[in-house]
Amino acid sequence: MIEVHNLKKHFKAVKAVDDISFVAEDGKITGLLGPNGAGKSTTLKMLYTVLEPDSGKALIDGFDSHKESMTVQSSIGVLTHNAGIYERLTARENICYFGELHGLTGEHLNNRINELVDVLDMEKFIDRRCKGFSQGQKTKVALARALVHKPKNVLLDEPTNGLDVMATRGLREVILRLKEAGHCVLLSSHIMQEVAFLCDEIVIIANGKVVANGSPDDIRNLSNEDNLEDAFVKAIGSEEGLG
Amino acid sequence: MKNTAATRSNQLRMIWIIFRKEVIDNFRDRRTLNTILGATILVPLLLFSFLWFAEKTIKDETDSISAEAIQLAVVGAEHAPNLMNWLEQSNFAINDAPKDYEQAVRDGEERMILKITEDYPKRFATGETAPLLLIHDSSIVGLEKIGYQSLQRAIYTYGNRISSLRLQARGVSPKVIHSIQLNVSDVAPSELRNTQVLTMMPYLIIIFIMLGGMYLAIDTTAGERENGSLETLLIQPASRKSIVLAKLLATMLFSALTLFFVLLSLAFSFKFLPIESFEITLSATKIAVILMINLPFVFLGCSLMVFLASFTKSYKEAQSYLSLMAIVPSMPLILLSFLSPEPSLSNMWIPSLSQGLIVIETLKGEHIDLALILLSMVSSALVALLFVFMTIKLYERERILG
Repeated sequence: MIEVHNLKKHFKAVKAVDDISFVAEDGKITGLLGPNGAGKSTTLKMLYTVLEPDSGKALIDGFDSHKESMTVQSSIGVLTHNAGIYERLTARENICYFGELHGLTGEHLNNRINELVDVLDMEKFIDRRCKGFSQGQKTKVALARALVHKPKNVLLDEPTNGLDVMATRGLREVILRLKEAGHCVLLSSHIMQEVAFLCDEIVIIANGKVVANGSPDDIRNLSNEDNLEDAFVKAIGSEEGLG
Repeated sequence: MKNTAATRSNQLRMIWIIFRKEVIDNFRDRRTLNTILGATILVPLLLFSFLWFAEKTIKDETDSISAEAIQLAVVGAEHAPNLMNWLEQSNFAINDAPKDYEQAVRDGEERMILKITEDYPKRFATGETAPLLLIHDSSIVGLEKIGYQSLQRAIYTYGNRISSLRLQARGVSPKVIHSIQLNVSDVAPSELRNTQVLTMMPYLIIIFIMLGGMYLAIDTTAGERENGSLETLLIQPASRKSIVLAKLLATMLFSALTLFFVLLSLAFSFKFLPIESFEITLSATKIAVILMINLPFVFLGCSLMVFLASFTKSYKEAQSYLSLMAIVPSMPLILLSFLSPEPSLSNMWIPSLSQGLIVIETLKGEHIDLALILLSMVSSALVALLFVFMTIKLYERERILG
């Protein structure tokens, strides 16, 4: 479970995250939706321990992601924005490396990797070096390494970025399976349809603040709009960054 | 901190995992291997061409003195027929000088001109000091200079012989004017004679230590950030300290490997290069000693490069900074060629200079005080630790990802 309480973070004069609070529960997919530069990535970065909040708290399963970062790091799996993989290693070696960093070894690690190969449909390239992989293949490797230690909480920063239709569909299936298995999934996106399709809970962020929070239906009702897209535009108060 | 021993063993395991990945990753990088391979091939080539050139110069000198007659223009040759005979026997070809002989030397038409003044015969005949004027251009160097030096020697010898004859004619032994006879005996061991090659060695060693680690220092820091995998790595349950140490160790491994191959290649070159004037040997023991005493510098060079590369924004930027940095540690070595200092407390704390001194002394086969060696190793290691500390601090800050 992920809890965010009154989180604030500024870079010089820019208030990137300005008092954001929300909860993402286990067994649910929660989406952070907002235009580019709204503060989604900054919020996620504070959750996955690489940024220190100015004030407020980011809790993962009750552990403070800044003060107890090592504990938090063991219980999260993260797909960072534009995540890169090691091109001179094979896909398997890439995943193996991160498995080992989480303390997995031997047969146990091998079985887990084979499981992921099945789920993510990676048989064709699992033992190939990653140089020249398509964006879809790269994302699968990056996702596999994020999931190799079966993290309770999964954080995905714009996971469908650069993926084609088929790859996006594949990714959606994986995310839904994670939900069924009881994981807490938190993903960010600036694509409204994607969030509407996948998420049980939506947190709409604009200019570093939460402007709406609830199920897709809640949000439609809240703004008296039948169409979620119109609701979104109304919530963020402008059409800026919708592209 | 529930259990410090467990934490420590966990940290060591993390360092090992990251270290092993960086080593495998970079062994598959052609650039890294090219550096090692290049060093191994380049070093003997450099050495060979250097020695070959040195030997050729000496050979040319000898040839030009013994074989071909040196052209000599003389003004007033008719005043000193005996001297002209002597010079011709000493392998000079006497020519008439052009009218404006000073200008001719200045313009480089003539290498040198000997002028015999009109009162030379009179003064020579009466036993007075007879003047000769030698016009040359002292700005000319190299082989051209040899003719001038041989001419001076020839004229001095002629003068001495005349003096001796005159003394004998007056019933005085010529020994009277030779009050001292200076005999020179060179007792330097054969290894000491190759000073030119010796002063090259520290440069080669220091530069290849830097080059050997450079790609890893960049690839594991600026490269990993540019690749977009650094953030993911930093999220793993490994301390930033473990991450920095692992990357530094991998860098040091490649740097030390490069040094090792350079030394091996040097040992083979010393042994098999067809150069006669050269007698340095590099035994297995010497290789081990040189490798050992340079390890603190490997540590220092690599920690410096990892530190700098961590600061840069991109692979390209890191590359341009570090290429410059590779030269900096070789600067104290310039002192070696100019001052050739002896190892002492006042210079053995200086990184790179102290290693250079130990390398030279080791190659010479000379003994160095163990305390001085320790001073060199400890001071370099301390500076290295400072860079390691600063790098870890840098990695613990948020901006490492920015």
